[in-house]
Amino acid sequence: MKNLKKYLLLSFISLGIISCSEDSIPVANEVTLEFNNTFGNNTIVLGDATSSEATVNTSVAGQTHHFSELKYIISNIRLINSEGVEFPYNVNNLDNGATIVDQSNPATLQYVLSNIPTTEYTQIKFGLGVKTALNTLDQVSFPNFYAQAEENDTEMMWEWGTGYRFTKIEGFYDTDNKKLSIHTGSTLDEDPNGGDDLVIGVDAYRDITLDLTTNAKVGSNAPKIVIKADFDKLLSGDNEIITLSSGTGMSNNATPNIHTAVQMTKFVNNIGGNSSTNTKGMFSIERVEN
Amino acid sequence: MKNFIRNIFILLLLASCANEDYDPISYDNPEVTLNIPADFPDLNTFFYDNVPTKYGVELGEKLFKEKRLSTDNTISCSSCHMQENAFADHNAIGIGIEGRVGLRNTPPIQNLAFMQFYNWDGSKRQLETQPLVPIITHEEMDSSILEAIGKIATEEDYINLFYKAFGDEGITPEKIYNSIAQYEYTLISANSKYDKVKRNEGGTFTEKEEKGSIIFQQKCASCHGTELFTDQSFRNIGFPVNPNTDEAGRARVTGKNEDLYRFRVPTLRNIEYTAPYGSFGQFATLKEVLDYLDRGVLDADNLDPILKDNNNRIPLTEDEKESLISFLKTLSDVDFVSSEE
Repeated sequence: MKNLKKYLLLSFISLGIISCSEDSIPVANEVTLEFNNTFGNNTIVLGDATSSEATVNTSVAGQTHHFSELKYIISNIRLINSEGVEFPYNVNNLDNGATIVDQSNPATLQYVLSNIPTTEYTQIKFGLGVKTALNTLDQVSFPNFYAQAEENDTEMMWEWGTGYRFTKIEGFYDTDNKKLSIHTGSTLDEDPNGGDDLVIGVDAYRDITLDLTTNAKVGSNAPKIVIKADFDKLLSGDNEIITLSSGTGMSNNATPNIHTAVQMTKFVNNIGGNSSTNTKGMFSIERVEN
Repeated sequence: MKNFIRNIFILLLLASCANEDYDPISYDNPEVTLNIPADFPDLNTFFYDNVPTKYGVELGEKLFKEKRLSTDNTISCSSCHMQENAFADHNAIGIGIEGRVGLRNTPPIQNLAFMQFYNWDGSKRQLETQPLVPIITHEEMDSSILEAIGKIATEEDYINLFYKAFGDEGITPEKIYNSIAQYEYTLISANSKYDKVKRNEGGTFTEKEEKGSIIFQQKCASCHGTELFTDQSFRNIGFPVNPNTDEAGRARVTGKNEDLYRFRVPTLRNIEYTAPYGSFGQFATLKEVLDYLDRGVLDADNLDPILKDNNNRIPLTEDEKESLISFLKTLSDVDFVSSEE
């Protein structure tokens, strides 16, 4: 908050100076986040089991795979300017500050942040998933986000855990196109009294930090930040090299046990980082268009 | 404090001459006195944040039986949690709207105030957080909390009852969750033959029941311990595995390998009324359960040590099984499952 105030003051001062000139720069503008979901450098094309169109990837373990469905939640978005001041974008409001990226719906691949204060931004932070404090399926507080997640063709809810699905990936693997179904979400249950004793479950939320390759100059411009999400990392990540296997045993991970947090955590760490040494996961900045 | 409040009310009454909107009716909504059985474990601490009151419980029971909580108005909580079955049912796996089949066997609702974990996998530790789950689950009621509120919000009965139960106007999700939990807290079963014998209230065990009771202490009580007949631990006892690919037991919640296919030890109270048995109703009868344990269970890395140390089985003679079942039937609480109660 203090930082925000400092920043506002600074921007007012600079506005005062700038406004002397004829063409006035707006105090704020839009920033568009565009998500390019890829296998390496190829944008993913979805397809059913026998699709000839679908983009096929091969993992480090040598397994071919392609997706028929690909969705994930982005929330808790923050832009950081060259002075290190962080501008949080409706971080505690899922209706106005979170979105579900759905590869089958092109409109969802762009998310417009409105009213972003004029300055040069050097870094972006966002969450893959929903932080625990907001992950309660609170329909009263966030009816729009709830509705979006609830829709039949979206299905981004874990009813049993009364939380959101953070990612939902359906697809096929190996030459015989076995079913692949990877869902992630938190099962964290915090002790309401603040103690550590009763915390159970898994936190699947991941905070992502990316340095912008070019500063995003908000003002006269309404920049676009293109973020690449490279799903090659899902099986071949910096944290885990995963071999898919079907079955009901402890180590099987392709479909059964889709809810088994043991296996889920490996996928989460690959695409979202392990929240300590790796805070990028599958994400990188492809380009910034000013 | 009471005097202070009373004085404020008097002041308000005096002041109300000028205020035509003032509603002088105030409801007495006393806390319900629960009969806490002597040797039961401690109450769940969340109980103290939502102590049952007269109207809270009345509202909770009404909501528990409210079919409009489901999206097509066909099922209520009590459709699966039927009193005559100790608030369980006779389906192997819970069945929701349009005949949709869920994942697990409907658990009984009894003595929940004394439980530290709810559901087969212990996914909830606070009873108030549970009612939303069946309301929104696709295979259960497939509705949403605002949809449910919308259906009852204009009804006089509900408006009055919500007001009486919580002392202020409006129907909120929290009031729904809290009142249903309050009702469930009052569902205490401790009046079986076993309890009466234990309390020296006249009855005695038959020879067979007595024998079963001794076998129970030797071969069952290490898991089905305490007066709840569950030690509330999570164990994999090598029962046949649910073919539903969503099943992982306790591991679904904790993310720990060692919790795969571990389930909370179920209570055995009123077990006579809750067939079939097992997390997905694998066993039609108690005899089938005991036969399975006697023959030998599925092996697993995390199979419970008690079974592992005994060649993956609990050996029982036919006579012992019969005696055990006789004893288990002494845990039947006729008052609890009779609706006039």
